[in-house]
Amino acid sequence: MMITFGNVSRFYNNWPALESINLQVQPGEFLVVSGPSGAGKTTLFRHIWMGDLPSTGTVEVAGYRSDRIRKSDLPFLRRKLGIVFQDFRLLPERTVFDNVALPLQVAGTSPKAIRRRVFALLAEMELNHRRGSFPHELSGGEQQRVAIARAMVAHPVILLADEPTGNLDPEVSRMVIDLLIEINRSGTAVILATHDPRQVPAGTARFLYLERGRLVNPGVWDGYKQL
Amino acid sequence: MIHLIRNAIHEGLLNIRRKLGSFLITLLMVSLSFMVFDIFLIISWNLGTALKDEQENVGIEVFLSDNITEVQAVILADIVSGMEGVRSVYYVSPEEAEAVFRADLPEQADLLTLLGPQFHLPPSIQISLHPDYRTSEKVGALARTVSGMDGVEDIVYGKEYLPGLTRAVDILEKLVILAGLVLAVSLSLVVANTVRLAVARRALTVQIMSIVGAPGWFVKVPFLGEGLLTGVAGAAGSLLLTLAVSWMLSSSLPHDFLPGRWIMLVLILGASSGAAGSWIGMKSGIPKPRS
Ligand SMILES: Nc1ncnc2c1ncn2[C@@H]1O[C@H](COP(=O)(O)OP(=O)(O)O)[C@@H](O)[C@H]1O
Ligand SMILES: [Mg+2]
Repeated sequence: MMITFGNVSRFYNNWPALESINLQVQPGEFLVVSGPSGAGKTTLFRHIWMGDLPSTGTVEVAGYRSDRIRKSDLPFLRRKLGIVFQDFRLLPERTVFDNVALPLQVAGTSPKAIRRRVFALLAEMELNHRRGSFPHELSGGEQQRVAIARAMVAHPVILLADEPTGNLDPEVSRMVIDLLIEINRSGTAVILATHDPRQVPAGTARFLYLERGRLVNPGVWDGYKQL
Repeated sequence: MIHLIRNAIHEGLLNIRRKLGSFLITLLMVSLSFMVFDIFLIISWNLGTALKDEQENVGIEVFLSDNITEVQAVILADIVSGMEGVRSVYYVSPEEAEAVFRADLPEQADLLTLLGPQFHLPPSIQISLHPDYRTSEKVGALARTVSGMDGVEDIVYGKEYLPGLTRAVDILEKLVILAGLVLAVSLSLVVANTVRLAVARRALTVQIMSIVGAPGWFVKVPFLGEGLLTGVAGAAGSLLLTLAVSWMLSSSLPHDFLPGRWIMLVLILGASSGAAGSWIGMKSGIPKPRS
């Protein structure tokens, strides 16, 4: 199992942002988590990269357990994950190349290997002509593709995408979703948080619905029948 | 690992280059405040060496009464030479005193001639002291004992000058330590504040680096380096400025510049307060990654 949530609750000032979450994600799976704003999607993700730890219960990700992990383990856990945000979070003073290269640079990869990998990835994602540009010179869709390239550059086993299309118009959103599907096909587990699960075709993913910190009985939700 | 260290240093240098102007202003401010300290150190050093020279020369000059015989004087000198703290004793006869007077002050030699052959300078005993006895209290005590002896007319020693100088050097040394402490604390606070601002300004970078798997030290090194550099370069800059001032004043106010180990001390003070400052700044500044 790649990710296991064992009865996880997280309280902020006695208020549960997550409540009794039980969840398992297999390697290579595509999981869509939807639910209204404030439901706890981002909090769930934050528990996966262990930027936050559960109040009760345990999270296990790629062999690291929330109740045993040490601070010095966190970089190694996070090198197995790729994370994409709604607001892209590219570093404004770095070029596209340097943004994409960042995860390799902070892991101590040699400059030569970095160049080889980043060039190949940028070419694959049709961003090569943009490698010397700065984020503010790019469209929203391009920025999000650069952010996805940054998330994928170190060959993560899981890609976390937290409402990646929230700031994009529908056409560009579709491109980004297609890119995530393609990434998943090549073997990376993808977890997508979104307001609008209809973006993802039925049959390509497992769908979960989160409401007020709880995973809701799928039958109650009038979304995809396969839930 | 080697790439990682290089990248961390590279990142730190980039940070500084991106705000070179404000970094240089900070450096100048640090240098100027350090300069005050350097000048204190120079004054203290020079007065200290002056005091030491003076202490080397500290002795007691005992003038004897005119009618004392040479034999009595030599006996007196003998007694004094047995006293505690006395290193050596030298008897100066009236003839020798006159010869020394004529040699030291040739312009005033006529004075002696004018006074006629009946006049002669008093005989005296020159007492030189062991180094441990060259403090004002001990010199004073010994002088009082000797002045009570028969045949002693008058006693001269540096009682006016010495205690004042000793106290001045004493006070100055305390001031230097105080100034050093004040400087270390204020430099730490200045650096802590700039590092805190730097961290806040680079909050996104810090967060993203941590999320993409940078080790904690990798995130911290650039900020630590900035603080350390501010401290060391500020201290070095102050030494250069002070050297220039010292050089300009050297003809009108002869003095020595600081010795090597005091220069090291200034640099170490700069480095340690800079490092302490960035540590404080990071402790209060670096946010936990959020999303
Ligand atoms: N660090 C925090 N401190 C206090 N409350 C928080 C914190 N993080 C999230 N919350 C609360 O938890 C709830 C879930 O938030 P979030 O996970 O961001 O929801 P979503 O991503 O589904 O919109 C919200 O009510 C939010 O205010
Ligand atoms: Mg959210």
